[in-house]
Amino acid sequence: MTMERLDLFRALAAARRDEIVITTMTATLQWPLVSRHELDFDFLAFGMGHAADFGLGLALARPERKVIVLKGDGGLLMSLGSLVTMGRYGPPNLLILLMENRGFEMTGGQDFAPDVDFVTLARGAGIEKAERIEDLAGVEAELPRLLAEPGPHFVVLPVANSELLPPVAHTDHAGRVTNLRRALGVS
Amino acid sequence: MTGASAPRTLDMLKALGFTDAVSIPDAESRHLYQALIDDPGIEVYLPTREGEGIALAAGLWVGGRRPFLLIQNTGLMEAGDALRGCGIGPGIPLFLLVGWRGYPGATTGALPIDSAYPYTEPLFGAWGVPHRRLMGDEDLDVIEEMATLAADTSMPAAVLYGYGFTP
Repeated sequence: MTMERLDLFRALAAARRDEIVITTMTATLQWPLVSRHELDFDFLAFGMGHAADFGLGLALARPERKVIVLKGDGGLLMSLGSLVTMGRYGPPNLLILLMENRGFEMTGGQDFAPDVDFVTLARGAGIEKAERIEDLAGVEAELPRLLAEPGPHFVVLPVANSELLPPVAHTDHAGRVTNLRRALGVS
Repeated sequence: MTGASAPRTLDMLKALGFTDAVSIPDAESRHLYQALIDDPGIEVYLPTREGEGIALAAGLWVGGRRPFLLIQNTGLMEAGDALRGCGIGPGIPLFLLVGWRGYPGATTGALPIDSAYPYTEPLFGAWGVPHRRLMGDEDLDVIEEMATLAADTSMPAAVLYGYGFTP
């Protein structure tokens, strides 16, 4: 069972209030279709697989504010040790939403290890609140809890995408950093 | 050449306002790492890989903290993509204390020369990341110089330590 990624994004945008939302790779192309918020941080250039690592640092620095990271399973495989670091240091305000499509969508959909169980990997790395939500109705039902309850949370969401992706148009990386710091009141 | 004093180095890092250390220590930095662990003034995070650590440090900085990295040159080589993406590209002023694996052996004529030795300074040059050498207490001022340069330019800057830290 999968859910359409854009439907997932619409549900998250509807539930989101003042949380920071970090997106990377293909999520950076579609999240702006549903959200224009000063605490959106769509950023292509973290380095391979490092969006959640950046999100961990940001969550540690801003304990008063929830940090949501939307990232793909392919990216997680490129920095799998991140789970161990999140298991050790992950703060209550960190929410990782792992979009599971079992392939590298950004580069043409090459598939990889079909049987990897990301929830088991996360729990084994010390992230106790790791779970899987199978469909959009489940997401809509559980989002209020995930946004309110202390974490860290790691949620696996099986997604598909049938929408045409907008073109990649990311250039001003320094400007995105400046804008987020300004929105957070960091000089 | 006996290395730099870990307590003096720690005092300097605290005086410069650093709040967090992200570190995968090497044998030469183990005394500084332990001094950081023992001091409550700086939070210490030990990631699993250096690229992960660079991204973590970038997130800390964007959130208003003042982190530095304490890693070895070998790990930095593997973390080049993260340094590009989370440091050089977006202009995040990461301050790096980098252990120079291969330096002591190379300078005493031991063979074979560790290949990590000759690539390190050219790599900093290729990335456009300025660096200075820290070989002992007499060089400790380079920490302030490069930390200030990173902050003033909003770009990464590094100190390369060629000998270990002493207790």
